[in-house]
Order: sequence, then C-alpha cells, then structure tokens
Amino acid sequence: MNQIKFLEPTTFSEASTLLAERGDDAKVIAGGVSVTLMLQQKLISPSILVSLGEIVNGDFIRLESDGLHIGALAKLHDLERSQIVREFCPALAHTFSVVGNVRVRNQATLGGNLSAADYAADPPSMLMALDARVQVQGAEKKREIPLDEFFLGFYTTALESTEILTEVIIPKPARAAYFKYTSISAEGRPCVAVGVAADFDSDLCKDLRIAVGAAVETPQRIESAEAMARGQTLTDELVAAIANEYSLTLDPLTDVRGSAWYRREMIRVFVQRALEEVRNDR
Amino acid sequence: MIGKSVPMLDALARVTGEVDYMVNLRLPNMLVGKIVRSQSPHAKLLKVDTTNALQVSGVVAILTGADLGANAFYGAAIKDQGVVAVDRVRYVGEPVAAIAAENEDVAEEAAMLLDIEYEELPSVFDAQEAIQSGAPTLHEKYPNNIFIHSKLRHGDMDAAFAEADEIFEDTFTSPLAQQSSLEPHVTAAQWDGDQLTVWAGTQAPYMVRRVLSENFGISQEKIRVVVPSLGGSYGGKGHIRIEPLVAAMSRKTNGRPVKFLLSRAEEFVTVTKHAASITLKTGVKRDGTFTARQVTVYWNGGAYADASPLLVPQGMVRAVGPYRIPAVHVDSYGVYTNLPPAGAYRGAMSSQATWAYESQMDIIARKMGFDPLEFRLKNLFVSGDHFATGETLHDVHFVDCLEASAKAMNPSTSLRAKVGRGYGVMMKSTVSTSKSQARMSLADDGKVTLFTSTVEMGQGAHTAMAQIAAESLRIPFEMVRVVGPDTNVTPFDSTTSASRTTNMMGNAVIAAGTSLKRKLIELAAPLLEIPSEELLAENGKVFAKETSISYAEILKRNNLNSLEETGEYSTASKMDPETGQGKATPHWHQGAGAAEVEVDTETGHVTILRYTSAAFAGRVVNPHLAQLQNDGNVIFGLGPTLMEEMILDGGQVTNPNLADYAIPSIRDIPLELISVCIESDEQELHGIGEMTLPPVAPAIANAIEDAIGVRIKDLPITAEKILHALQEKSKP
Repeated sequence: MNQIKFLEPTTFSEASTLLAERGDDAKVIAGGVSVTLMLQQKLISPSILVSLGEIVNGDFIRLESDGLHIGALAKLHDLERSQIVREFCPALAHTFSVVGNVRVRNQATLGGNLSAADYAADPPSMLMALDARVQVQGAEKKREIPLDEFFLGFYTTALESTEILTEVIIPKPARAAYFKYTSISAEGRPCVAVGVAADFDSDLCKDLRIAVGAAVETPQRIESAEAMARGQTLTDELVAAIANEYSLTLDPLTDVRGSAWYRREMIRVFVQRALEEVRNDR
Repeated sequence: MIGKSVPMLDALARVTGEVDYMVNLRLPNMLVGKIVRSQSPHAKLLKVDTTNALQVSGVVAILTGADLGANAFYGAAIKDQGVVAVDRVRYVGEPVAAIAAENEDVAEEAAMLLDIEYEELPSVFDAQEAIQSGAPTLHEKYPNNIFIHSKLRHGDMDAAFAEADEIFEDTFTSPLAQQSSLEPHVTAAQWDGDQLTVWAGTQAPYMVRRVLSENFGISQEKIRVVVPSLGGSYGGKGHIRIEPLVAAMSRKTNGRPVKFLLSRAEEFVTVTKHAASITLKTGVKRDGTFTARQVTVYWNGGAYADASPLLVPQGMVRAVGPYRIPAVHVDSYGVYTNLPPAGAYRGAMSSQATWAYESQMDIIARKMGFDPLEFRLKNLFVSGDHFATGETLHDVHFVDCLEASAKAMNPSTSLRAKVGRGYGVMMKSTVSTSKSQARMSLADDGKVTLFTSTVEMGQGAHTAMAQIAAESLRIPFEMVRVVGPDTNVTPFDSTTSASRTTNMMGNAVIAAGTSLKRKLIELAAPLLEIPSEELLAENGKVFAKETSISYAEILKRNNLNSLEETGEYSTASKMDPETGQGKATPHWHQGAGAAEVEVDTETGHVTILRYTSAAFAGRVVNPHLAQLQNDGNVIFGLGPTLMEEMILDGGQVTNPNLADYAIPSIRDIPLELISVCIESDEQELHGIGEMTLPPVAPAIANAIEDAIGVRIKDLPITAEKILHALQEKSKP
C-alpha cells in the first residue's frame, strides 16, 4: 500500500491549484476530525492529502459592517470562547460549545465541519438559520455560496472538486437560539438540531428562520412554516402550529440516535422550545 | 496502613500518560500482526489461499487453520474455538488468518490479497431461536446449541406456588454490549527455541500460561507471561482471548516477536457482555412474603463457549436475588449463536440478573400496595438465613447497604412532579474455587518487594496490596514496591477478576507478611537477648520495652542479603451439578443503590438528579480508592442502563465505534453522586470492584416508574423507549 503524500500549501489559492492538478487522488484536510475517521473506516483512500495547516491567517474572527467573518480554519473551541462571537451572537457561541467534546473542538475547524456535510452536526443548522454564506476558493476564481444552497446531501456539498471553503460570513441576527438534543450520551452527536433566528418589532415577529438538522439528510427550512409567524405575535398556539408543521413536513431518518418516529416527535418538541426561547429572549 | 487513603501508586504516571502501556511496547526486530476476519456469520471455509498475500514484500508469515494441527482448538473450559478458524467460520469478525509483517501498511495490503472462499450456511443470532428444533447447529457436539445447562432445585415448587396469593411472571432482557476499556486488547509473543514469552494484556496470566501450554504441548515453565499495567479491562481481558493466536503466529517468524494491537472495531468482535433474557415467576403472599421463584435464563454465548461454561453456573446463583424465598428453581442455559463470543463484563451475569429481580421487586410492590423500600427491607437476607443452595449466610449486610443508600437519598422529602426514586440491591458470588499466592522479600536496606500476579488495570489493586503488605509486616507504606505479574517471577494467582483480589490476594499478602514478621522476630531474639515471645514488631523494627533493632540491621547481623516468605490463600466451594445444592461461593458480594431521577415527558429523557450507592467492604483498605471504585461502578453502570447496545445487522456489528456506540461521558453522570462503604465487626477484607454496579439499572428503572408510571423491561432504557411507553399509556 502506498504511503499517503502530505502536501502543505501556504495559501488557499495554492491549495486549490494542487487539487486541480492532482484530481480525484487528492483530498483536503484541515483539523482532520472527519477525514481521519473516513480514512480509518476506509471510506476514502486518497494518495495525496492537501493540508490547510500551513495556510497563514486562515483562522481569523472579525466583525465587519455586513456581519461576522470567520476564517475557515478557526477552531471550534476558539470560536466558542471568542469574545467577538459571544457578543455577536451568544447562541452561535453556544452552538460551537456543544460540538462533541473539548478534544474534538480543539481540533475541528469551522470550514472542515461545514465541508464534511455530516448530517449529524451542530453548526450547519444554526448557521443556516442565521442566513450565513460561505466564500470558496477555486483554482481560478472565488465565489460566494449561501448556506441555504450549500448542503446537497449526505457528505455532499455545492463545492466543486477544486474548491475550498475559506470563510463564513454571518449577518447579525436580532435574536437567535440553538437547541441540540442528544438522545443517548450527552457528548454524542445530535439526534435533532434546531437553529432559529428571529427579528421582532415589539411583540410582532418581523422575520423568522428555522433550520432543522441532524434528523434529516441536510439541514432544512420550511419557508411556508416560517411565513406563518411574519407579522404575528408568537402565541403558544402559533408556536405549536409552526412546530407541528416542521414535524409533519420533514421526512426524518432512522439511525442509532433515534427512529424516524422519535425524530418526528423531537422535531416538534425542539422547534417549539427554540421558538419559545427567541420569543421570551428580550 | 489499612484504612488510609494513600494516593494510588501510579496515579501521577497514569494522568500524565507515562504508564508504559502495551500499546507502547517495542521489542527488537518486532513485527506487526494483523488479523483477517470472517465476513460471513456462518460458512464453510472452502479456501484460504495465501499465495498472493505472501508475495507482498515485507510479509514474513501468514497463519491459517492449516498450520494448526492437532491442537487447533482452545477455550477457558470447552475447547471449541480455533486459534484461527478451521474449515468453518461461525461469526462475522472471527479470525480466519493472521499476518506477520514488517509494518502495518504491508500487513493491510497482504490482507486484501488473501483469497478466501466461503460457502454460506444458515445462521441464528437469538438464543431462544437457536434452541428451537430446525435452528442451525453451530457445534455438532451440541445439536440444540445448548452447551451448558445449570440447574438449581430447592423446595417443592408446585406446593409453594399453590401457597401464593399472587403470582408474577415477567421477562427482562439485556442486549449485547462491549466492555469498552480505553486500552484495547494488545498482546505480543516471541519464541526462542521451545521457550515462549508472551506480553499480554490479560487479567489471568496463569490461565493464559496453562492454556498455551496445553495448546503447544509444552510444559508450563517454558512459557513466560508478562503483564504490564493495563488501561482498563472490565472482564474483557479475563480468561483467554487472542493469546493463542498471537503465540501461534509468532511461531512462524523465526524467533521474531510479533505484536497485535486490536482496533476499536475489532474489540466489538473479540468479546461482549452476554445478551440475556431472564424470566422470573414469583409467588407472593398478601403479607408481603415470598413463597416461590422460578427463574429461566438464556445467556447468549455467541459462537464459542469462551468463559461461558464458568460464568453460566455463576449466572444461575446470581439470578436468585437477596431475599428469603422458600422454594427456588433456576434453569440457566448457555446457548451458541452466530455472534461474537461473550465473556465476563464487570458485574458479570449479576448485572443482567439484578436488572430482572430488582425490577420485578417494584412491579410486585406496586401491584400489591407495598412500599418498595419496606418490601425489600422486610425480605432481605440477614445473617443466619439460608440461601437457595442450602448454605447458611454469614456476615450479611444487605439491609445496611440498602438503608445507607436510602438514607443518603433523604426519603422524607417530597418529590416534584416527574421526579421519582428507585432502589436496587444485589447479591453476587465470587469465583467459587481459586487460589492466590504472594511473596514478600525484605532487602538488607529495609525495603520490601511484594511479588504478586495481581494485575493492575487502573483499579488500584497494587496500591491496596502494598498497604496490606506494609500493615502485615509493620513497615511504612513507602518501603514497599510491587512487582508483577510475570509468571517467571511472581507466584500463582488464579485471576484478577470477580472482585476477588482484595480478599484473596489480600489474605495471601497478610500470610506472607505475617510469616516474614515472625521470622524477623525469631532472628532478632538472640541479637536482643530477649525471648521472641516478648518481642513485637512496629515501624520496621523489632522491639521490646526499651530496646529495638531495625529489620535491616537484623539481616546484616545475620549476614543475610534478603529474607523472603510466601503466603497463600485458597477457597473451594462446590455445588451438586443436578440440584445446585451446596456452597456457591466463599463469600457473597453485597451492594445497593438508590436513584432519584427526573423525566422529561416530552422527550423521554432521563436526568439522574442523585445516585447513592453502598457496598459491603468488610474492612476498607483505602477509603479514597474504594469510593472511586463505587462511584466508577455507578458511572460505568449508566452505560448499559441508558445507552449501551451493540446494533447488529445479519450478525455484523453496525456501530463498532465510540461515536455510534455511546458510553457515558462526564456530562452524563448524576448531578449528585454519593457512595458509602459498609464495614463489619468481622473486619474481613472484601473486594469492592463491582458491588455498586448491578443495582444501577433497576434502581433507575424503578425511579422512572415512580416518576411517570411507565415500566421498561428491556435495556437500555432509552429516551425513545420511555416516550413510546408514555404515549402507549396515554392511549385510551
């Protein structure tokens, strides 16, 4: 068996060029959390690993006029502790803090977490609810992809084979909440993940985005259900109706963390709890 | 020294990662071993062709069934398991061949080139299906797949059930689970002519030596088994596992050592906790006393008997429970299926059994209107009672254990809605017949080496033994070092398991220390010119009123460089094989637990608000380590209670990793965790490695029923099962 070649470019553009040159034999590795697992389980067998570890300034966290910009190489543990992230959106810092355990968060990068497109993840649902978008670097050009259009299926994203996620941009939410429900071990992956972002004009809900993940193939929003809240007071009845809509519309999967039946129930419970939290958070 | 919370000898080394675990073992010229495993649950092996695999540069040798000859089979009791498969495979993951290579990559490449052909046979995975006529037979010697049937017959069942006012019949199940020690199985072996050295991650070095001697037809003294510090075992490294395979592989490498380090996924196909189905039929009178109990247990042994023939009879007596019941019959069956072999799992057989009898206690209490705590206290064994084996029970402290747990629970306070309390008590036998020897050697600098084959696996046994050695020889703790196990150096011990070490090895150490002390006094008498009857020993000195002499000085003055003594402690218990009458165990393990839980009725999620446990220890050697054992048991027990379950698809484990097979994390532990050790006037040393584990599952299940009125009978108690039961209950 051939040893895997380990390449360490210093810029994203160089990394993307390497991917273009090496084709399907090459695989990008950042923190290595999911790539190492896939290598171990022989789900992938690249001959070249393009490491992003030597890329300079790829892990920034900075506030700009259009929102929070996070470099793809920022570690989840740094994000959860960042004062900038905490002040910008406490629910987002919380989301990072509940991923796996501290050993995982010390290693995992945000770009890696999103690019892996593992359905049983935390950040994707919260970030989708926050209407985040990602910058990607191709061999020839850069482009921006809204997170709504990023996740295509199990372990599949809108990234082209030569593209690398470089940056995540998150508009400032008025209010947000993230609920991770673990059905088995407290440090396990989510059974259901619910991210909510909302804006209110006194009691009236101006805008609402709810993304549900981990229970379905990719994080999903139901715009018709979100629209039920627009211009309305979030009464208990309305909250229950929206939660019910998510529960009935989504088509949950079955795995070790719960059956489709159970997940349908949990989607209802946690969409409701997340909505109650944004409603009551003044 | 006994009774002091000295720090564990290797505590710092363990937390700083300096312990030399087997994972780090490097021997000169060492090869990497890799096991090639069956992908079929049950098949004839038509071909294992090594031709192409042997061509890979760096492959040194490949072991297949064809190499094994007459001694191809091994087992702790029934020799039914091929060192690697011979002609037939019986579970997914069974070793078919082994490869010794220069490095891992080479071994992996060779593994892919191995040409294996199977002819599929019908398979069966459930023990109760496996005993039906028409089910596939795994081993021709046992056509109905029952390889052991243990029987307990005590009293006239028909008459006793006729006296009952109510008869309860319930079945409780436990799924397949894995011991999940952080350190996987690691073993290395090297031959030098007809001499074999094995570095083994095992709990039973002398059993490994005996089995290897039988397998290779060489005398035991030609085999040396060395056991470094282990990173956890929980029964999974008990008995005999991959050692015969490793030794057979290394016999083909011209004297080069070979090391096998199993992956996490391989752990799941190497040993498991017995899946079990236990049916209890119990007769109760309106006054809250028992008349009879009929127990039927099916232990799923997997494809090979492994330790089951030793454990199933224990599982029989462990299935009865700690209550006065005049008539008891038990049928305990060990059954072959096409699953990985089952072995000991901390609280072996007791966890499955306690889950059943302590769950049924609450079912009975609720139905008949008794308080679950009072109902237990009224029926628990006390000293002088007779167990269903006919033996008289001594030094019995079930009531003390339960009361201590209940008291810490503060039962007088009322509970909020959705909060409930539950209790569990356990009664467990230890190894019925076993022996421990210890040797203590005093050097002329006054330092003492304790030679023991007790395995240190993180439980602190070497620290406890050093404390007992210091106490028995009357020397400071710091003067003792512990060596072993190494069968060339340290004397015999049956096994480090079944919570027997503190009791058995502890008494062997006391015997060694006491005779060494006596010898020192005899040697000191002429030096001090005082008769030995008037001399005492303390703090490393022999003394009379105003005069004393140090141990070191005694040796020097007698021109001795060292002085050694050996101690031994052995037990033998026997039951009639047809009736189970006799004596099941030298002493009984006694423990209890109480849980206070809160249930989220929208999700079924359980939060353990408080858990208190109590273990009977006789005399506590090290209070801090004892508390860690008790608390560790409870945390360990939360796994099979709430989350642990191997998921299988066609005999293949589909969650063989610690992301999908969940074990408790630090954030799963009870918000409040309390433990108590019970001591008694007899001051006997008792093991405490398991006592507080078996009560965890029923105590929590009982607390859940107390909180929300649903009863779960199948482990693990997942949130999904609870929510499902709640919805069923609310249906009109």
